[in-house]
Amino acid sequence: MQNARDTFYITLRNRLAAVNSARTMLMRAVPRPGIYVQYAEAPMAQPVLDAFALRWTELQADHHLPAILAQMTCEIEYATAGTQNNAGLDRGRALEQMDTEMLRILYPYAAQKMNYTQLPAAPMETMVFWSEPEFGPAVPLRDRVSRTVKVTVFAFQEAAGAANSTGYEEQGES
Amino acid sequence: MADLSTQRSCGIAQRLATAVLRAAGGATACLRMPPLSGDSSDQGQLGLDAPGFLSLPLAPAVLRGAPRRSPRAGEPPPYELLVAAEAVSAQVSELKLSSAEALFAQASGVFVGGKLFLIEGVSTSQSQGAPYVYRLLLRESAQGS
Repeated sequence: MQNARDTFYITLRNRLAAVNSARTMLMRAVPRPGIYVQYAEAPMAQPVLDAFALRWTELQADHHLPAILAQMTCEIEYATAGTQNNAGLDRGRALEQMDTEMLRILYPYAAQKMNYTQLPAAPMETMVFWSEPEFGPAVPLRDRVSRTVKVTVFAFQEAAGAANSTGYEEQGES
Repeated sequence: MADLSTQRSCGIAQRLATAVLRAAGGATACLRMPPLSGDSSDQGQLGLDAPGFLSLPLAPAVLRGAPRRSPRAGEPPPYELLVAAEAVSAQVSELKLSSAEALFAQASGVFVGGKLFLIEGVSTSQSQGAPYVYRLLLRESAQGS
């Protein structure tokens, strides 16, 4: 499952760099596209403004297929306070801009699964695919407004060999 | 109406804060900072690589328990770390950062007495527009020491 999660994040990050190269942030002294995995960074009191934060919540496994299908819920949270030039009065527009970018980086809803524990990253045998986004309500908090988007990510459990008749593999990895 | 009287900062508040914190048993707190070169690899962003944090000493600093506003079960108690502004400004200059806020924003925690604490908030006390002490609201990290 970790490979699917890694692939999902790297795919969105690369697409974001192409969709809006100006959306960058400084994280651990490195400038990078404004998207990060919450559990792969140091805990922070407030999420980074004008960036997308990914966190993995629910997990289900479907055993009724030739290979186990993992369903993982990814919550993507983003918040903005607008820009200083407009005294924050453009925070509604800034949130809409992030909504649009969210839609664009999620499509197409699939990517080749990669193994990032190897150098260079190696392609795996199956794809990672995900659902259309479910946009939560815009939540205002003082001078910032935030939104959480839910995406269900699907990935087949892969094994060294082909899946057996039950779909259970001894050294499965998705 | 604006106060147009001349006020020259001579740094006495900063020196006094340093002296008081030192006299109060001020110890050394170490900010956990990212490496100067950073890690821009995919593995670094996925939690695969060890981050190689640096330790940045700040002294004198005094740790004390902070009052709980609304205690919840299982929540670690809050602490307050008072740090002399002179120590902070020295590190800000050393690292060529724009402000103390930038310094604390990059820190992923602070070690005090061998224990790791997470930074939940930063505030300052100022004299003549210049900070003389920084107050960090901390909680003990589950990672321990």
